[in-house]
Amino acid sequence: MIRWLIMGIVRDRTRFLFPWLVTTVGVMLMITLLGFIEGIFMSMVDMTAKLDTGHLRLVNKPFYEEEHLNPLDRALASEKETKTWLTQNSDPEIQWTSRIRWAALMDVPNERGETRSQTPVTGMGLDLLSESGSEIKRLGLESSLIKGRLPRRSHEMLAGYLLAESLGLEIDGKVTLLGQSFDGGFAADNYQVVGFVKFGVAAMDKKMALIDIEDAQTTFYMEDMVTDWLGFLPSRISIFDYDKIRNDLQAKLTKWRQAPPGDWVEDDFPILLSVLDQRNMGQISQTFLMVRKVLVAIFTFIMSLVLWNAGLLNGIHRYGEIGLRLALGETHGQLLRSLMIESLAIATLGCLAGSLLGGGFVYYLQEVGVNMGDAFVQTGMMFSDVMRGRLSLVGFLYGIVPGLAASVLGTLAAGVAIYQRSTAELFRELEA
Amino acid sequence: MLELKSVGKIYQVGEQEFRALQDVSLNVEEGEFMAFVGPSGSGKTTLLNLIGGLDRPTSGEIILDGIKFSDRSRDELSALRRKYFGFVFQSHNLLPVHSVYENVLFPLLLNGEKELEVRDRIMALVDQVGLGPEAHKKPHELSGGQCQRAAIARALVKRPKLILADEPTANLDAENSYNILELMLNLNKKYDAAFIFSTHDEKVTRYIKREIRLEDGSIVWDRAKK
Repeated sequence: MIRWLIMGIVRDRTRFLFPWLVTTVGVMLMITLLGFIEGIFMSMVDMTAKLDTGHLRLVNKPFYEEEHLNPLDRALASEKETKTWLTQNSDPEIQWTSRIRWAALMDVPNERGETRSQTPVTGMGLDLLSESGSEIKRLGLESSLIKGRLPRRSHEMLAGYLLAESLGLEIDGKVTLLGQSFDGGFAADNYQVVGFVKFGVAAMDKKMALIDIEDAQTTFYMEDMVTDWLGFLPSRISIFDYDKIRNDLQAKLTKWRQAPPGDWVEDDFPILLSVLDQRNMGQISQTFLMVRKVLVAIFTFIMSLVLWNAGLLNGIHRYGEIGLRLALGETHGQLLRSLMIESLAIATLGCLAGSLLGGGFVYYLQEVGVNMGDAFVQTGMMFSDVMRGRLSLVGFLYGIVPGLAASVLGTLAAGVAIYQRSTAELFRELEA
Repeated sequence: MLELKSVGKIYQVGEQEFRALQDVSLNVEEGEFMAFVGPSGSGKTTLLNLIGGLDRPTSGEIILDGIKFSDRSRDELSALRRKYFGFVFQSHNLLPVHSVYENVLFPLLLNGEKELEVRDRIMALVDQVGLGPEAHKKPHELSGGQCQRAAIARALVKRPKLILADEPTANLDAENSYNILELMLNLNKKYDAAFIFSTHDEKVTRYIKREIRLEDGSIVWDRAKK
């Protein structure tokens, strides 16, 4: 029977073409749209993670609660021991790196050594000098460099290009950082500015300076201490798994706190956060999920309406056939089932074509992207200039499942009219 | 085999009732070759629809092999149609996208039979109605007479007890009409299926062996012919 139905579909283009086209276009649009917005969202998550929060973050709770003040006296000691613990107790795929968030006054001297300009800056101490260069790759510093070079030696600094402009910095010029040390004392240290960086985030371009983490430890008297441990997960791990990974590690951390490293002080209380716990990302992700659901619902509704009408048109086109089949003894239920099988077969082909086309578009957006740098130049949001799509299984499912569901709903709605019509009436109309 | 007891049918047309059939009683035996004759609107097609279980009578009872139609649900009547009835229509009503072979196959698929198991049977029947060489042609490639032959093969393929033929020659010329009637008569003898026509074509009445005349929904006479 199924072969008989398929032959009918193949031979009767009017039965096939319109519903197939509707499903193909609908699924393609849905996969493309969802892939693009998921790409934008994940790009924002990744940017936030790389520049600021990590996908996971181990931080001392007292520091986290006042992090707007960068209270270095609340940094976490035992850097080496902590790194060993994190490596041994978390998934080997998580890359851990330490950072120091600091704040200081940046003083730019003139040729006589007197202050020419100065401004408060926020900065980050991170691994810029090791051979692996993982932080340089992670932050894309090489491609973000708009003038100068990357640091090669101790006490070299990268500055945001807008900060450099406002202070009149020059490449290889000297600056002095004046701040507070770990133990509340005065800290001052000289640095050579070797490069200007465009982060693509206005707030960072205006106020951010990067130095090597060991230099930061020296400048702020923080030997074997850091403010943050950031964990980076592979991109294949869904954002919705972050909380579980965090919770698993948190459970181990709770045990570790019962026998902490010797250099931790009594009120040290390291906690684990995921990117969703910080910078309002949890709320943003909920909004993203809501928007995605609404889009899927609207898409399914519209496609069901169109396919319902296609089903009705198809019903009119095949009125004679339907009347005849009922007269020959096919039950209304059998007839409806066969119409469903037909529509599912057509929808499956439509979903296949729509997935190929939509997947192709998203792949293009993922690999090439759309440059929207001009649109974001004045925003403080952590967006990359190039907006990229993201191919994901969920994106395909959100395209395909509603595509099939709309087809079934549309056929059911159209089939109800057939179901309610009496056999004799159909038969009379067939004969008329 | 088939018994109609005081069958009546009333259609509601707006607020008015239209009495299409009233108090029709008759018996049909196996292998009969008979027709309902009468002018348009006399109730012939309505009577065929009621006998075929396509519609339900307003009053009276239809009993086929002891099965009362009134006791049966819509789906059970469909099952009865699949088992007991073959239909031949005024216009052949072949499914246009399927070949002669596939059109004849369709009622068997509805009965749950496998194509491989019935292929020879179908081809033999298609040969019998003179369409062997056209078995894989579509309806639009056939003449009106050939289409009606295909429709007869489709009606007979399940070996039904009753063939209901509603004006089967109305769209055919005289030569094709006679050919079709000869074919039906031969098949009636061969398969012992009862043929019930609804017609006002005199050519048909020359072939039938029992004629029931309907006027205004009632039987005027019921007579056997020699």
